[in-house]
Amino acid sequence: MLAVLVRQVFVRALIAIPMIFALSVVVFVVLRMLPADPLAMMLPPTATPTEVESLRAALGLDRSLPVQYGIWLSHALHGDLGRSITSGETVTHLIATTLPATVELSVVALAFSLVISIPGGLLLYALNKRRGELLADSFVVLLISVPSFLWGIFLMLVLGVMWPILPFSDRFGADIAPPKTTGFALIDFLLRGDFQAWGNAFSHLMLPALALALGFAPLIIRVLRASLLEAAGEQYAMVARLRGQSDARIVLRHMFKNAVLPTLTLIGVQFGFLFGGTLLIEMIFSFPGLGNLMVQAVRNHDLPLIQGIALVFCVIILVINTCVDCLYAVVNPRLRDA
Amino acid sequence: MSTLAIQASGRWRQTARALLHSPKAMAGGAIVLALVLVAIFAPWIAPNDPLSQDLLSPLLPPAWMADGMAQYPLGTDSLGRCILSRLIFGSRVALWVGLCSAVGTMLLGCALALLASYFGGKVDRAIGYLVDLWMSFPPVVLSLILMVGLGPGVGNVILSVIVVDWTRFCRVVRAEALVIRRRDYVIAARLMGFSHLRIMLREMLPGLVPLIITLFSLEMGVAIVVEAILSFVGLSVPANTVAWGVMIADARGVMQENIWNLIPPVLGIVVTVLGFNLLSDGVRQALDPRADSSRV
Repeated sequence: MLAVLVRQVFVRALIAIPMIFALSVVVFVVLRMLPADPLAMMLPPTATPTEVESLRAALGLDRSLPVQYGIWLSHALHGDLGRSITSGETVTHLIATTLPATVELSVVALAFSLVISIPGGLLLYALNKRRGELLADSFVVLLISVPSFLWGIFLMLVLGVMWPILPFSDRFGADIAPPKTTGFALIDFLLRGDFQAWGNAFSHLMLPALALALGFAPLIIRVLRASLLEAAGEQYAMVARLRGQSDARIVLRHMFKNAVLPTLTLIGVQFGFLFGGTLLIEMIFSFPGLGNLMVQAVRNHDLPLIQGIALVFCVIILVINTCVDCLYAVVNPRLRDA
Repeated sequence: MSTLAIQASGRWRQTARALLHSPKAMAGGAIVLALVLVAIFAPWIAPNDPLSQDLLSPLLPPAWMADGMAQYPLGTDSLGRCILSRLIFGSRVALWVGLCSAVGTMLLGCALALLASYFGGKVDRAIGYLVDLWMSFPPVVLSLILMVGLGPGVGNVILSVIVVDWTRFCRVVRAEALVIRRRDYVIAARLMGFSHLRIMLREMLPGLVPLIITLFSLEMGVAIVVEAILSFVGLSVPANTVAWGVMIADARGVMQENIWNLIPPVLGIVVTVLGFNLLSDGVRQALDPRADSSRV
């Protein structure tokens, strides 16, 4: 089993690495199409043409595109993604301080969406060919039609403004010292033993995570229902029924295990979308994560920062997909010998 | 009329009947039709000019509230612009972006899917790799980067949706086209020496039409959401164009004082996307003979 896992990781990494290179080329080329001159933002309006040229040369912007890419790549491989044009901080530092917030948000959102979608999928399956089905099915279509960012605005409006129950901006209260040990608020505050701060951070996570989960859950519900329906037609389900087992037992003990496989694949593929979705949700909820940083960078045309964040987003999604593929091999016994 | 043609027209009649009996397709179709009419006749329906500012009456609630004015049925925004008129005119950008992006993604995605499935081998692997590469980008991040590169504008939004989203068409259509590729009539056409192009367009494409219609409708909804997102971030349309995303961004700023600014554009997007999703679902179930037994 371990050998399978190792081989899976190895094979996936072989595919993923050239992909990251290709992606970085795409990002680099697209951003060089930018009509605005990045130098214009870094120099005072009084700068002389010689000053402009010397800065251009210092930044390597006077060379050809492939050479520029080569310079950027060799720095990136050494962990140096350059400095932000607007704030002057290193891109790696900016990313390192915001990434934990985003990871935390998306993991909590994933947990929420599982809590919603597993009972939801089972319920929808139970309603198959019953009277409530059209209603339930239409409801799921309605849920699918509402993108996460509208959920965010809706939740903020209802639970933040109309009935101010939950906080809807920032990561935790202003009086709480930021997490330093791991960067993850939920872990650090526990380590610190500060349960009040933990509750505060969690309540700040509730709305954005719920918004992401509500956008994600209907997709899982649909796949789970479809794979349960498929499993119901399999022989083992019929045999179990012939043995006189109860419907609930057949579904939960036998069919669910098989139906989870396609669902897991979907979660893997779509987790990337969920992670990308944090971008807007963070902006709406002023949540200080990677997405918010990206939106600010985009608004300021901060090229090094945009490049760095885009690369980190892609790497994370490839890592997630690789993990899911490996997990899939572990969970599905049929793939182990393949 | 040859027997084949009679069979085909019978198939279409059957499909039309299935569509008429599908509550989803009918409901979705009604929403989409209503939206198209609103967008076309916007200047005649809208009570006010969506851009004219009435600075003496900003942030009015809807007309049925105590402070509302009959002149502004859904109230006004922070610059005193009529919310209802902005909502009505906003449908134009949404539908235009949706339509153009869906046509673009369809053409690009289907062309690559047909090439990949028909020629197989190296062509298929190259296109498959491109799709995988593209899909490992989070779509929001990719479209943001593209919009930074291209600069704002409705045409650029459409271009960026096409560049980001063609993969869905390509992947799904390719899978189906691979099945059709092995059908007897396609093999027969090859044996008869028809050109590659003719086989792809005249023999394989018709079998893919139901799937393409489904995806097309779905893509319209997706494109409308993407446009709303981009105009919410402020990267989509020029300042004097009315778009739902811009309305949401404006309303978010004054949310504490007036929640009525926020509700119409949010509902506008949800209803529009719902319409396209219902239509897509209904068409899929009506056109697909293998559709699951749930007849909804």
